[in-house]
Amino acid sequence: MALTQDIGRRIELVSMDSRFHDISIALYRQGEYGRPVFYIHSYSRLDGVSGRIEFVAHAMSVLGDMVRDGLRFHFPCGASHELACRRLFLEACKVDPAADVEPRPLSVSDKRSNADVTLLSLGDGVYRLTGDATDAKSVERRLSIGAGLVKLGQMQWVEGDKERFAFPCGQSHDRLLGLLLIHALNVKGVEREEQMAAARGQLLAPSAQKQ
Amino acid sequence: MTVKPMNGRQRVLAALRGEPVDRTPVCNPTSVATVELMDLVDAPFPDANRKPELMARLAATGYTELGFDTIMPVFSIIQESSALGCKMQWEQKDNWPTVRMREPIWAEPDDIKIPADFLTHSDTKCVLDAIKMLKKEYGNDVAIIGKTMGPWTLGYHCFGVEPFLLMSLDDPGKTKLCLDRMTKATVDFGLAQIEAGADALTLPDHATGDLVSGDYYKRFLRDLHIELVERLPVPLILHICGRTLDRMKYIAQTGMAAFHYDSKNEPSEAMEIVKDRIALVGNINNPETLFAKGPEEVRREVYRNLDAGVPLVGPECAIPLQTAIENLKEIPKAVKDWHRNHSTPN
Repeated sequence: MALTQDIGRRIELVSMDSRFHDISIALYRQGEYGRPVFYIHSYSRLDGVSGRIEFVAHAMSVLGDMVRDGLRFHFPCGASHELACRRLFLEACKVDPAADVEPRPLSVSDKRSNADVTLLSLGDGVYRLTGDATDAKSVERRLSIGAGLVKLGQMQWVEGDKERFAFPCGQSHDRLLGLLLIHALNVKGVEREEQMAAARGQLLAPSAQKQ
Repeated sequence: MTVKPMNGRQRVLAALRGEPVDRTPVCNPTSVATVELMDLVDAPFPDANRKPELMARLAATGYTELGFDTIMPVFSIIQESSALGCKMQWEQKDNWPTVRMREPIWAEPDDIKIPADFLTHSDTKCVLDAIKMLKKEYGNDVAIIGKTMGPWTLGYHCFGVEPFLLMSLDDPGKTKLCLDRMTKATVDFGLAQIEAGADALTLPDHATGDLVSGDYYKRFLRDLHIELVERLPVPLILHICGRTLDRMKYIAQTGMAAFHYDSKNEPSEAMEIVKDRIALVGNINNPETLFAKGPEEVRREVYRNLDAGVPLVGPECAIPLQTAIENLKEIPKAVKDWHRNHSTPN
């Protein structure tokens, strides 16, 4: 009898969990036609796997402010925010299990503009980036980081406004954006990382391999 | 004509012989190993390429978990190259072992020596032992497929890709001599797998569409492949990646039972060329479909092959190790559904 289960559509995979014996852990999406629910699963049967999954679930709920029911999660707004949820899962797997899980701050230091950047929640799911630096380069840089957040969080620009952006669900997700903010500083780096992960594990013909 | 219900082994072997089947077999001539299946049976790479118990355990999931009609324990393309003395990079769980082709072991025909311990080397013996285990446990129900690399691929591994291709341009006679001598490794390893219990053998010979033309295939490999068919007494499945329509007419002349073909070739075009001279197998795209899309897209590709009359269905090549299990399980599901919707058996 088969041991694998029909547990939904796999949307993200950590193929080697460096925090726990290099097991693979995956994030699944369930409820395609109703309220999206996310589920964490590993096929590993090593001792301690359930504890490891439990920790990742805990980290996801803290870092993303998701509503948790066992190993199943959803966002309070009922929307999927799938791309952000995938990033949240990847980050949760990286958290040191020995440390307390803390939500990420809404302010980061941006090396490129040599200034702090702070995310302001304006209510109704609308956000704006602000900072002390007022020179043109810093302002431009904040707009670029905002564009990064829009991309990583599948957000939308507020119509007629080049500074404010919002989640389509119309609700705030401060913790989720705190998690994404650091990545929005270098979206190209995130994309490169994704491309490298996708290329890994593909068997190439000898003629196509880097020699 | 109605065909009695068959088990996986009967179905695959009948299709490879060009005989009627109860439904199209789902065949894996290369690898369906994934990191999640490795976890499930505690048989991770690289050990699953080097320890027979792990190799057999991981390979069996292709049948027990995914529902394929075949079991293929030789996941990689490097077992015999390791036994020949090539320098190896065994990698980790989530990546493929490779030959360090920048450090070739041979440069001239006289360098080619098949070591006396070629079949007792741990990396070839591992395959033979795994086949024996699988034959014992699953051999009545499912087709056990082995794999022996063709001399062109061994040439890349042992001489390096660039030196081997340059030699083929500069001195075709010398290249043919090298191919002839390396063929001994292909035959010896193939025969040993047959003796261990393999029902059929995949023969990857990477005269791929990107570097080698159809004319090259005819000049260097067609006759050699005819010879391999004569010397290896089980159905052979030739595997060549890439766009290969330009050489399918020659491949169809070899007597190989099947050609494992890439998604870069349109199924109906390929069928038009080979007709019933050789069975086709494969074609489900790896990087874009099985790895990156979902079951619906997989199903569409399966149907496209079945609609074209392709006699065995499966992934186009070794699947990416991060492929989702639900996508792989969709292949046999789609085949069964297609047959339910088409009253005439294939």
